[in-house]
Amino acid sequence: MQVAVIAGSISAGIRIAKEIEHIPGVDVSVVLCNVGMRSPLLRWSRELLLALGSLKWGTFTAKLCSYVRRGRVFILRRPLEDPTSIQYLRSLQFDVGLHAANVIYREATISAFRMGILNAHIGILPKYRGRSVAQWSILQGDPTGVTVFFIDSGIDTGGRIVLREFIPSKGCNDVEALRNRLFSCADRLYRQALEALGRPEFQFERNNISAGKRYYVMSKMLTGVVNEILSN
Amino acid sequence: MDLGIALSRPVRLDCRQDILLEASLRRRAELRRSWKGFVSAKTLENLGSLAPEIESSLSEQNAVRDWRPVATFAWIHCDASFSDCLRLIALAANVEYRPVDVRPAGFSLEDLKKRSLADRLTALCARYRCPLNIGIPSESDVAEELLRQLMVLDRTTLGGGAECDVDMVLLKLNLVGIRAMITRDLRMLDALNYFYELPRRLWTSLRANPRLLVFWLCIYAQLLRTPDWQQCRLP
Repeated sequence: MQVAVIAGSISAGIRIAKEIEHIPGVDVSVVLCNVGMRSPLLRWSRELLLALGSLKWGTFTAKLCSYVRRGRVFILRRPLEDPTSIQYLRSLQFDVGLHAANVIYREATISAFRMGILNAHIGILPKYRGRSVAQWSILQGDPTGVTVFFIDSGIDTGGRIVLREFIPSKGCNDVEALRNRLFSCADRLYRQALEALGRPEFQFERNNISAGKRYYVMSKMLTGVVNEILSN
Repeated sequence: MDLGIALSRPVRLDCRQDILLEASLRRRAELRRSWKGFVSAKTLENLGSLAPEIESSLSEQNAVRDWRPVATFAWIHCDASFSDCLRLIALAANVEYRPVDVRPAGFSLEDLKKRSLADRLTALCARYRCPLNIGIPSESDVAEELLRQLMVLDRTTLGGGAECDVDMVLLKLNLVGIRAMITRDLRMLDALNYFYELPRRLWTSLRANPRLLVFWLCIYAQLLRTPDWQQCRLP
C-alpha cells in the first residue's frame, strides 16, 4: 500500500511517517504542501531552523535525510487544489493519503488517491461533525474520542469509517488540554487504521450522517462552561 | 464500549446544567447592564413608540414564553404581519395563531441561493410570516442552512470587518433564535452567543436595521433565561 502523509509542516510529515513506516506492506512518503500565504520555502526553512533548537534535531534530520535520499519526500510548489498539483499527485499513484495539513480538500484532490484520504477527526462520528466537537461532546455529556475515516468534500460526511476510539477527558482541566490529548492520538490511530485496512476481513462502518449534527465554533461563553465542567 | 450506550449516557447531568444555567444568567445580567452600548441612543430613538417596551425588556427581568408546543403542529397561520409577529415574540407577548394540517410546499434551498439578496429576504419573510414556523420539524433543513450561513459565511465576513447584508444577518439571527426557543438546540443559542461576542466596533453596521437588531437582543435575552437546555435532538 502506497501511503502519503499530506503535511503542511516537515515535522508533522516526518512524525507521522515514522509512526507508520514499519507496517508490513506499507510504503510511506511525505507530500509537503503549502497551506498559507507565505512562501513555502521560507516556511520550511524557518521550520528547519527552529528544529535546530530541539533536542531531537539529530533524529529528525537523520530521518528527513533518509526519506529524501529514498525519494520519499515530494514538494507541491502549487496549492493542493491546483490542477498541476492534482496531476502530480495522480502520477505518484498513492493508495491512501493521511491528512496532516490544515486544508479542506476538493473532490479532485481526494480522487487522486486510489482509496482516498484518511482524517483523524477529534469527535465521535457520526454524531459530532464539524468544529469544536470535543467541547460540544463535553457540554452535552457525551464521550470524547477520535474517529478515523475517509473524507469527502463535505464537512466530516465521508461515508467510510475505519475506526473509532473513545478517549476519556478525565485529567484534562481545560479545553486546550483535552484537544491536545485527542490530537496526540492521531499518529497512533492512523497506524491502527492502516493496519486495519490491510486485514482481509476488514469492513468499513458507514458514517450515517442523519444520525448526527454539524457543530460550529463554540462561543467564549460556552467554552467557559466546558472549561468549568472539565475542571469539576 | 458499545457506541449506542456510550452516546446515550449522560455524564454528571446536574453539574453540567447548573454550570450552564449560571453562565447564562451571568450573560443575561451583563446584557442587562450593557445593551445600550450595542443599541445607540439614536437607534433607540428611531424605534419610536417601541423604544419603551424594548428598554423594559432588555433592562429588567423580562418575561419568557414557552413556544415549544408549536413544534407539534404541521404549520401555523397568524393574521399579523411578519414584523408584528416578530415584535410580539421578541417581547414575549402572545401571538394569536391557528394550527393547520397542511404546510406550504417545501422551500428549495437551492432556489433560495440563486435569488438576489433582496429576493432572499422577501422569500424568507414571506415563508415565515409567522416566525414561529421556523421551529416546526419540517423546517429543520432551512434552519440548519441558516445556522450554517451564520456560523460559516457571515461569521467570517462580519468578523473580518467586511461589509455584509445586515438585514439578512439580523433576520437569520432572529429566526435561529426563535428556533432555539422551540427546539432547545444549544447550537442555535450558541450562534447568538457568538455574534453577541463580536467586537463592539462591528456592531455599528448592525444598527442599520434597528428593529431587527433589538428584536434579536430581546430574543437572546429570553433564551438566556431559559432553564432547560437539552441535548440536540436528532431529526
